[in-house]
Order: sequence, then C-alpha cells, then structure tokens
Amino acid sequence: MSKSLKALGLAVSALALTCLPAAAQTKVTNEGISPTEIVIGTHQDLSGPIKVWGVPVSNGMKMAVEEINAAGGINGRKIKLILEDNGYDPKKAVLASQKMVERDKIFAMIGAMGSPTVLAAQDVLFDAGVLQLFPLTAAEFTFKFDPSKPQERLKFNNLLPYVESTRAALKYMVEWKNFKKPCIMHQDDEYGKNVLDGFTQQLTTMKLQPASVTSYKRGASDFSAQVAKMKADGCDLVVLGTVIRETIGAMGEAKKLGWDVTFLGATPTNVLEVPALGKEAVEGLYAASGFEIPYEDTAKGKVKDWLINYKKMFNADANTQAIIGYNAVMTFAFYAQKAGKDLTGQKMLDALESGDKFLDIFNSPPTKFSKTDHLANTITQVQQVKGGRWVLVKDNLMF
Amino acid sequence: MRFLFKTDYEDDIRLFPHSGYIYTYGLLLAALLLAPYVLSSYLMSQLVFVCIYATVGVGLMILTGFTGQASLGHAAFLAIGAYTAAYLQQHNVPFPVYFLAAGLLTGVVGALVGFPALRLQGIYLVIATISFAFIVEEILARWESVTHGNEGMRVKTIQLLGTSMSRDGPVFYYLCLAVLVLTIVGTLNLLRSPTGRAFVAIRDSETAARSMGINVALYKVKSFAISAAITGFAGVLFAHKLSFISPEMFTLQLSIEFIIMILIGGTFSLHGAVLGAIFLVMIDPFLTYLKDDMPGVIAGVAATFGAGTERAAHIQDAVAAFASANGLKGAIYGIIIVVFVLFEPLGLYGRWLKIKLFFQLFPLYKRATFKRQKIYVKSERNR
Repeated sequence: MSKSLKALGLAVSALALTCLPAAAQTKVTNEGISPTEIVIGTHQDLSGPIKVWGVPVSNGMKMAVEEINAAGGINGRKIKLILEDNGYDPKKAVLASQKMVERDKIFAMIGAMGSPTVLAAQDVLFDAGVLQLFPLTAAEFTFKFDPSKPQERLKFNNLLPYVESTRAALKYMVEWKNFKKPCIMHQDDEYGKNVLDGFTQQLTTMKLQPASVTSYKRGASDFSAQVAKMKADGCDLVVLGTVIRETIGAMGEAKKLGWDVTFLGATPTNVLEVPALGKEAVEGLYAASGFEIPYEDTAKGKVKDWLINYKKMFNADANTQAIIGYNAVMTFAFYAQKAGKDLTGQKMLDALESGDKFLDIFNSPPTKFSKTDHLANTITQVQQVKGGRWVLVKDNLMF
Repeated sequence: MRFLFKTDYEDDIRLFPHSGYIYTYGLLLAALLLAPYVLSSYLMSQLVFVCIYATVGVGLMILTGFTGQASLGHAAFLAIGAYTAAYLQQHNVPFPVYFLAAGLLTGVVGALVGFPALRLQGIYLVIATISFAFIVEEILARWESVTHGNEGMRVKTIQLLGTSMSRDGPVFYYLCLAVLVLTIVGTLNLLRSPTGRAFVAIRDSETAARSMGINVALYKVKSFAISAAITGFAGVLFAHKLSFISPEMFTLQLSIEFIIMILIGGTFSLHGAVLGAIFLVMIDPFLTYLKDDMPGVIAGVAATFGAGTERAAHIQDAVAAFASANGLKGAIYGIIIVVFVLFEPLGLYGRWLKIKLFFQLFPLYKRATFKRQKIYVKSERNR
C-alpha cells in the first residue's frame, strides 16, 4: 500500500471515528414540558378483550397523577395525563400515538397496554424522540435495544419478564422439593409461548426432561383432556402459563380427578382474582411474582392509606394491575425529579440511565437502569395461596 | 339537470360518462396528491389506513356486492398477504416481487376457498368462510418456522430503488393511493367486461344466470380469486404500515369490520367501499377529537349564555368526565351503525345519491324514486 493511500485511510477512519458519536446521538424530544406542566400519554385497552387490565391500570395511573399534583408536582410542574383507548387494536394504537405526539405534544408515553399495540406504535414515538416507558407487556422488544440504533435507547421497562420469572420460580421449586417430572400447560399465544420458553430453557439447564407439554386456546373453559394427559404422564409439578379462569379450571379439574400435584403459576396468575374466585380449588397454588400483593386489613402505613384512597376514588378494591399502573407513573416522576428543575429530554434520559434506584411503597425489588440495561430487574418471588390469600414463600430469586 | 343521450353501446360502458366526472374526480385526485404537503402526519396516517381499508373494501365488494357471495374470511386473506410480504422480505426478496407474489398467492388461496364454497349458499357460505379464517389463524400460530407463531413478525420499511420508504412518509402514502386507484380502475374495467356482467347476473339470480349459459362455478371461483388477490395486495401495505404483525391481529373481528365497512358505505357501488373505509377509519379519531374539544366548546357556549366563569368551568369538567367515560366511544359507534342499518340500508353512498337527486330535481324530488320493487343481494335471491 502506498504512503498516500495509507494516509488517506487513516484520515478516513479518523473522520469516521469523529462522526460516530454524533451519529449515535439519541434524539429526545423537549415537547410537553412547560414551566407549569409535563404532558404524558398512555393508550390502554378500555373497551377490548383485556380491559380487565386496561381499566385498573389507568385508574392506578390517574391516582398517581393526582397524588403527585396534590403534593406540588415534579419540581413545580404538574403532570397532565392524556389517556386514549386502543381497544387492543394496533391500528388504533398507531393513530392514538400519532395524535398524542402531534396534537397533545406528549413528553413521554407511559404504561401503554398490549404487545401488538405497543409494537406497532413504538416507531411513531422513536421518530419523534418520545420516551417509551414501562409498557404493560413483558415482551423482550420493550427493553432489548440495538446500540447501533440510537432511537431505540428510548425504551425502558420495569415489568418482570415472563421467561426470566418462570425460570427463577421453577429453579427454586425444583431445587426445594426435588421434582423429577415437571409438566406445563400453557395458553396458546405470545404470553403462553414466553412461559413455555422459560420452562424449556430452565429444564435444559437443569438437565431435566419435560414429562408433558399441553396447551389450550385462549378462551377455552374445559381442561379435562389436558389435566388427564398430565396425570397419565405422571407429572409431579405442573407449571401453568395461564391467566385467571384457566388457572382455576385446571386446578379444579385436578381436584375432581383426586390428583394431588403441585401447581406453579406464571406471574399473571398472581392476582387477587385467582383466590377470590377459585376459593378452595386454588389452595396451595404457588406462583411467580414481582411484588407482594397488599391486603387492606393486614397492610400497614403508606400501603394501607393507598388501598383506602384507591377504594375511595374508584369505588373498587385495588388489585395488582392498579399497582402496576400506579408504579409506572411514580417511577417516571422519580426520575423526572432527578432530572432537575430545568427538565429536558436529554436530562430525563440521563437520569433514567444514571443507575439511581427507585423504591416503591409496596416493597418491590428496586428499579434501576443503566446505559446498556433498560430492564429494571428480574428478581422474582414465589408466593402461595394459603387460606384464600397470597402469602410470600421466598423472595430474591434469580435463575 | 343533464341528460345523457346514448347512441352507442360504447356510451353505455364509458368509465367517465360525461366531462363532469373528469373534472370532479380530477379535482379529488389533485387534492389527494397535495394532501401530504398540507396535512399533519396524524391525518396522513388516517388517509393511509383509509386507502388500505378501501382496497380491501373494493375486493370484498367484488365478491359480496357484485357476485352476491358473503364472506367473513377476508381478515385471513389480508393475513396471507401480510405474512407473505413479511416472510419474503426476511429472505431479501425485493419489494415489487413480494408485492406481486403476495397478491398472487392470496389469489390462489382464494380460488381454493372458492371451490368448496360453490356448493354453499347464504349463511352456510358465511360459516365456511369463518372456518377458513380460523384455520388460517391457527396455521399462522402453529407454523413457527415461517410465521414465528404467536411472537409475531417485525416488518421492515420498504426498500425500493436504493431508498427506504418510511411508513409515515408521503411516498408510502402515494403507493397506497396508487394501489387503491389502480384497484378501483381495474375493478371498473372488470365490471364492464363479460366477467363483471356474469358476476352481477349470478348475484341477481343464479338460476337465471345459468339458463343464460353462464358457467356459475367458474365465475364464482374467479370472483373469490380476484377478491382475495386484491385483499392480499392490501395485506402487504397493511403489514408495512403497522410494521408488526401477529396472528391475533387477523381475527374474526377484523372480518366483521370489513363487512360493516361495505354495509355502511353501500353494497351496490365501489363508492360505498371508499366511503365505508373513510367512516370506519376516521370515526374513532373523530370521536376522540370531540372528546377533547367538546367540553371547551360547550363551556364557551354556556359562558356566552350568561353562565359565570366558575359555572362554565364546572360544566366543562362535567362534560369532560362524561366524554371520557370508558366505552362511550364504542357505544356511539354502535349506535351509528344501528341507525344506518335501520334507516339507510343503501349506505352512505345511497344517501349521497338521494341528496344529489334532491337538488337536481328540486322541487320535484319524490321519495319513491329509490323504492325498488325487487331488492337483490338478499340471501334468498342468491340462487
């Protein structure tokens, strides 16, 4: 290679190096921040198939906003929450997001609901430099990002992912009770697939063979075939990738067959509705979970006040979903406070990535992000239904 | 009032019966071409969805409106188009190729569905198409090596001639508009050909059509194939617009939306498909707009009628609380549809024709003009 060519090469690479950081700069919007207000947006399913999640989550969010505003706001700025209905329809989610970005000029999208809806709409946010914070889907795309695509740095999630939580809970259960023939019954959709993946990955690591893998279609109400098959295959632990009704249905079926087996549910089974509706059918059910569910009569201090306030405000008992919605806004508020008085998009991003820990009032594991990790944590608990209530069995679990 | 004096068969099948058509449609097209430079990207997004839905509507109109074969399986055709595009794109097939391939494949599947459907009439055909849609949904969820199952697939932006076509940019809008316009022109051409006339004959009376020497089976299959292929093309655009597809997006509900679309638009004309698409896509953002702005407007009105500032603020809060009640939007949407089905069975386009005629004939308009002795497209007339 001639000298001049070498020099040229050096010059080019030097140029490339100087250009790189500039190209990798994430554009973050400063819209939605005024001296008196911060505008945030969310789209929830208020009328579609998962409104049992959408409504309490939006209630929790509204409550957090009112609390923050009553206490004087974030560094003097009140929060204004724009809430739209996506009906679990990706088309509506895209349009709602565009509307919020253009008309309402939101600063951040917080706690948006559903996998297809969040995924279809997220590019709208990234193109505008709007942060996508803590969407209500534990899918990987909500926190895994490609460092070469600077706009993807705008996504953060604090929900416990299904794969990791299932692995942690399964590992603990197998080591604790020495199960030999674990089985799984999972819902036939993206959520169920995640639980199945966690199950298979953990068994491979522990060098165990699944004794039986069964599934059901969303909306099914009869699980006799699946339970009979698992019983015939001699399972000693059944992992449930189910939601509410199916959890109760499967355990009821096992009781009917007189089959005494241990059940371990994925995180969505860890809600108040399961013991409330399942009664003695779900006694003894173990479940993976992210935080302890508070009960009004045993709760203390802040949590008790919170439960009472929630009931007063919405005329309904608070549930896990409401806590998740509340925490989403509270986490945002914590980092926005950290970002300081002269809040900008860039300062918000820096605050989120600073590694500062956010602790909620419900004693959940701490939330913490870094420049490379945009998932809050994967620390899992195992809880059990005892006497119609969720009781903590073991916390601080990892796989 | 203009009288068209037809002296020739050519006069009867002209795409533009008189110069007025050229001016009005020319004006409309010009307005649509200028839209990206005037409207915000929120409105542009709605227009893109209108174009995509209208394309599906035209496809469904050929089958249901003109051949008289109802289908509740068009979400499946849309899905096949979308997944073909997503799959081929992952294998680095260029856009023009996979665009055509998606339409072709969907057309073939449509023809395959058409064969068993030959023996079915009315409600039984509807049941058959629903089952077909379920089968496709199930395949999409199971065939993980191709469709990635329930995880869904990301769809990258279109790469054409070395540039990428952002889904929110004007070029993508022009593409959707072009597909819609070409589909409409193609369908109009089809309808004035022997094939199109055979479709209409089958719709009006199968027995009569057969006695006139029309091969009913062949034309039904053709109708299914053409309708499916058009929906497949729309599916490619749909996948690119949403940038993510998963089986749960192509459910029965979407098929029902498509049927509602042509019912509201009017099942006897292609205008109906476009008007129905505009209604279906824009009603939701419109209701959102009302929800956001109505409280302020009402408070303003109250203030001008002498309500004090405090009272006006109170009214504004009350209206806002009512307007953002959960499910209100769904209820209003439902009421509009019920009202349409009850009072305007000819749909939006039928209403427009009536209004137009009212002004053309003023003051001689008679309601009875639109009363028909025989109403076709009823299931008992389908045979």
